[in-house]
Amino acid sequence: MAKRTPGKETKNTTTKASELPKVVTGIAGLDDVLYGGFPVGRTTLLNGGPGTGKSIFGMEFLYRGAINDEPGIFVTFEERAEAVRENTLALGWDLAPLEKEGKFFLFGAHVDPQAAISGDFNVKGLLAIVEGKAKSMGARHIVIDALDVLMRVFDNPVRERNELYALHDWLNDHEMTAVLTVKTSAGGDIMSRYEFLDYMADCVIQLDHRAVEQVSTRRLRVIKYRGSDFIHNECPFVITGNGISIIPISAVELRHKALGPKMPTGHPRLDTIMDGGYRRASTILISGTAGTGKTTLANTFVVAACERGEKVLYINFEESQEAMVSGMLSPGIDLRPVLRDGKLRVMTAMPEAMGAEEHLFQALRSIEAFQPDHVVVDAMSSCRRMGTKQADYEYLMRLANACKEKGITVLLTNQTTGFRNEDEITGIDISSMIDTVIILRFVEIGGELNRMLMVLKSRGQNAASQYREYVITDHGIDVLDVYIGGGGVLTGTARQEQEAKEAFEARRKRVEIELREHDIKRKRAEMEAEIARQRAELETAEAELKALQLEEGLVEKGRDIRGKMRGEDANSLRLNKRVPQRKERGTGGKEDTK
Amino acid sequence: MNRSDPKAKIRGTEAQGEEYILRLFMADNEPNSRQARENLERLQETHLKMPHKKEFVDVLEDFQTALDNNVLVTPCLILDSPLPKVTVFGNLSDTEKVLAALRLT
Repeated sequence: MAKRTPGKETKNTTTKASELPKVVTGIAGLDDVLYGGFPVGRTTLLNGGPGTGKSIFGMEFLYRGAINDEPGIFVTFEERAEAVRENTLALGWDLAPLEKEGKFFLFGAHVDPQAAISGDFNVKGLLAIVEGKAKSMGARHIVIDALDVLMRVFDNPVRERNELYALHDWLNDHEMTAVLTVKTSAGGDIMSRYEFLDYMADCVIQLDHRAVEQVSTRRLRVIKYRGSDFIHNECPFVITGNGISIIPISAVELRHKALGPKMPTGHPRLDTIMDGGYRRASTILISGTAGTGKTTLANTFVVAACERGEKVLYINFEESQEAMVSGMLSPGIDLRPVLRDGKLRVMTAMPEAMGAEEHLFQALRSIEAFQPDHVVVDAMSSCRRMGTKQADYEYLMRLANACKEKGITVLLTNQTTGFRNEDEITGIDISSMIDTVIILRFVEIGGELNRMLMVLKSRGQNAASQYREYVITDHGIDVLDVYIGGGGVLTGTARQEQEAKEAFEARRKRVEIELREHDIKRKRAEMEAEIARQRAELETAEAELKALQLEEGLVEKGRDIRGKMRGEDANSLRLNKRVPQRKERGTGGKEDTK
Repeated sequence: MNRSDPKAKIRGTEAQGEEYILRLFMADNEPNSRQARENLERLQETHLKMPHKKEFVDVLEDFQTALDNNVLVTPCLILDSPLPKVTVFGNLSDTEKVLAALRLT
């Protein structure tokens, strides 16, 4: 993060013994990524879509050089010189005095789009201007911004390429440390047109600006660096009011320092529970559901610390400073005197307002500027809204790490949603980083909602792990005696174990009963099924019998009828029977045989 | 206008009138620039009947004038007067195009 003196050539001392002379870029973090800086007397290419920050990179390199007596030339094909001056001033860099002193030359090179074209031409004019200026200023650094715009005039890829090679040769011949920026389109079509530039340049850096879950993130990746190693990862960066800041992402590692001595929490009872108080340079987590008094407990500590003459930075993602100050008045915590004394500084931000990188950068910058003894983050659960899933983890991890290194106490509040909020602490990946956990929760006793406090974990301390009732009064919080439950003293883990055992037993019994019930049901069902089957069998038999009886009855009836018929008109019956018989045999056959 | 090298101005200027002012920016040793100069001189004989002024600027000698006129490519012919100002890039080999651009057709 520290800005080194740019413009001075360095023997690459960072890592990887390379004899390649490099020049410090002066851009925070970039020299770490490039293991020293840009290659001296060579060409570096900055690729990226519109708005990715290419021009600002180029500008910062030249500006940091110029203020350290290394003159630079900035050629832009895209913007008017006046617009560039204004934009640069917005970053806090005033070019006018540097231009006056001959340390900076801003050339708003404008290619007349109306120009008629008749026959061949080349970029000798540009080179003559640059050469003339470089000589008169003694400039060795040059940035050519939006080179693709100049190249459009050639309207022919082959000629473009020839001109770019000519430009590159010229830069090399004149030992200019050059940064060229080229726009790439999102689709990458234009990129392929200038792909050869990647081969031509000695160092290629790709810039990217994307929105992940509605939060914009800028990233930088070094694609190649001829003759030198570099950090190959994508590195997030931010553009702040003071230029570019790159935070190498691979640098997240724990560097634990020993915890400091104990200090009061702001409440004597809590000090007793915690065997003396919080430990300095530790990370404390106050976790609980909404309304349990996390902010109140945090501010109890804040006021106590400030009154001891220590400084506290309060990073508030939940509410404005005014809202917090007035909100704290009702539990009798007056933040106004400590704010007035400058002991407390409140930093408020919407988590969604920017990416985690920018939040981190701002927090680190405030820490750098304010040098607090303690940092409060209210609430770390809000950090989830910074964008990606990993964002809150990265933000908190790095912030806590940075504080640990500096010996700063970190107090985090965390809003949990469920009742078993202990579970939610382990859900956050940073639990290894937390030294002390204080759980706040509501417990319903006799139809009354009571606040309970428990110190769940405390590294290097003998803390009483018991739920204690506490109340928020108009003169701050008050921690009461150990909670007396219905059956006697509630004693932390033992009670929990017992509860768990009972719960298990109850569950076992319930399951057994269910099993028995099920068994009986099954047996009854089986029996009923058997009865039904037998009944059905019986019914079938009965039905068969009935059918037989019916049949028999019919047969007998028929016999009677037939007997009557035979007796009454046997002749007609015989005749009737014979007629169809004859017909059936066929007429022809009958006639022939007779 | 030409502080660094007054020679270029003297060498290139041929005062023939007031109205028509042409300036050719070139890189002296470049074949393209030589061609442009030849083409312009031929064109002058055939088409530039009215009084005119023309000036040759060698960008390698006089980068300041190139800078003042935003001349990035060479050869480059600029019609300074009468307005509107016209710029022609190239060695002026396409006579028709040059004449059209200079409003001489």
